[in-house]
Amino acid sequence: MNIYLPIAEMSVNVFVLFGMGAGVGFLSGMFGVGGGFLMTPLLIFYNIPPAVAVATEANQIVASSFSGALAHFRKATVDIKLGVMLLAGGIVGSAFGVAIFSSLRQAGQLDLIISILYVVFLGTIGSLMLVESLNAIRKNRNPDAPPPEVPPQQSWIASLPFKMRFERSQLYLSVIPVLVLGMLVGILASIMGVGGGFIMVPAMIYLLRVPTNVVIGTSLFQIMFVTMFTTIAQSATNQTVDIVLALILMVGGVIGAQFGARAGQKLRGEQLRALLALIVLAVCIRLGWDLVSMPAELFSIAAGVGH
Amino acid sequence: MRVIIALFSLLAFATITIAAEDADIQIGLSSETIEITSNFDGADLVIFGSIENGDRQLLEAKGYEVVVALFGPREEVTVRRKERKLGIWINGDAMRFSDVPSSYSVATTSSLSEIADSEAIKILQLGLDNINVVKEEGNGDGKELVTFRESLARLKVSQSLFLERIGGVEFLSPTLFKAKLALPANVPIGKHTAHAFLFRDGKFLNAKFAEMQVRKIGFEQYTYELAHKNGLLYGIIAVLVAIATGWLASVVFGKD
Repeated sequence: MNIYLPIAEMSVNVFVLFGMGAGVGFLSGMFGVGGGFLMTPLLIFYNIPPAVAVATEANQIVASSFSGALAHFRKATVDIKLGVMLLAGGIVGSAFGVAIFSSLRQAGQLDLIISILYVVFLGTIGSLMLVESLNAIRKNRNPDAPPPEVPPQQSWIASLPFKMRFERSQLYLSVIPVLVLGMLVGILASIMGVGGGFIMVPAMIYLLRVPTNVVIGTSLFQIMFVTMFTTIAQSATNQTVDIVLALILMVGGVIGAQFGARAGQKLRGEQLRALLALIVLAVCIRLGWDLVSMPAELFSIAAGVGH
Repeated sequence: MRVIIALFSLLAFATITIAAEDADIQIGLSSETIEITSNFDGADLVIFGSIENGDRQLLEAKGYEVVVALFGPREEVTVRRKERKLGIWINGDAMRFSDVPSSYSVATTSSLSEIADSEAIKILQLGLDNINVVKEEGNGDGKELVTFRESLARLKVSQSLFLERIGGVEFLSPTLFKAKLALPANVPIGKHTAHAFLFRDGKFLNAKFAEMQVRKIGFEQYTYELAHKNGLLYGIIAVLVAIATGWLASVVFGKD
């Protein structure tokens, strides 16, 4: 059954999109990740214009992060004060990202930059995850090996000024790294259509030393509000949020995530991570291949002066 | 039903006209508006027409040739060419054209070269090679104009926006003809103009045109307009829809 997307202005198969939403939702439920970094490339592979894919994906993440954040809020595993500071940085970053997005689009280089950013981020994160999970698998086979080293205290972060007390996390911390981290994630949300949890969660654990029990809740809190802001800013500036596309993906995504979460409980953690790393690397290689291989058609056309 | 009425009125029109010096042409469209709804997947537009005041013998011998062309709303188009830089393919040279028909579909009784000489074909903008596009001043390299212009047409063809159907005009009687033009799923919104051209012995005789609107209706139209006229409100609605979906999911599935 085909459905017409009013903003992308194309006719698409609703079952294919629903299946993509459910598939990525399944993976995100299984691995406990947002899934934006897989959904956006998949939409691009399905010929959705990258500008629409990125902006619409931000809208979808609002839905998935909302239910997650709500659950953490009820369990009181959100550091609201830390979340608000990350959010303040996130909104600045998102506004900045939307402006970059507009100017890249006018210059005809938006699609290229989106692809390059994806190749860099997916390649880095996929490789790190693969190495880490393979090490963990090897260690499980050899239980006598020494336990992993605890990373040393980040002294340069402790020496930064403008310190603030975060009671819930029991931290006394400079706001500078918090704002910068939030801003970086905000930029990624608007240019790549990702929540940015894959950067924020490790950074909070290893750099800011936030207790693990509030990390996920706090990052979901930030992601939810930043993607809300990004959706509104993209709609107002670039008119690239397709609400019909977003709704299909949201419904597929939340349903898929339920089954994924159940499947995830039956599998071993490090094997799951190795599997996710392989999926991430496969998407990275596909995008990278499209960049370096000679395109079948060298020319492209775009209506209007801008996009 | 509308089609049959159109056909009958054309028949009536064709029979009551009195013979004159030159043959003329009349056309009517199967629909004056094409409405795009959520399940829109392309449509057919049938153009009916008749040759009037034609020479009876020539009509019987199929001596007249007809070309029907449908032009979509004119737009400005940027054509970009990828080039290899540092090992990756990026958009390099660009050329901007104005007055490009966003879509173009042509149907003929026989091949264009048989219908008229290349000069006339060019002037009337018939056929994919002759669509008039204007290169804007001061952009792109003039020497590459032909390459970029041809790429524009090729890409429009690959998006099914430019179509050519030799022999697509079919005679129902010596004077009545019909042409079926396919409108693709991505047919541009706006005013389309159908032109019918009459030829005899390689000579252009007469032309008529009729207009047709393509528009989004209902939800699609409302959504599109809201997004482009009040993006802020549209964004807020998009966020509220997402929150409602997320909340619903946690009610339906969430136990923790």
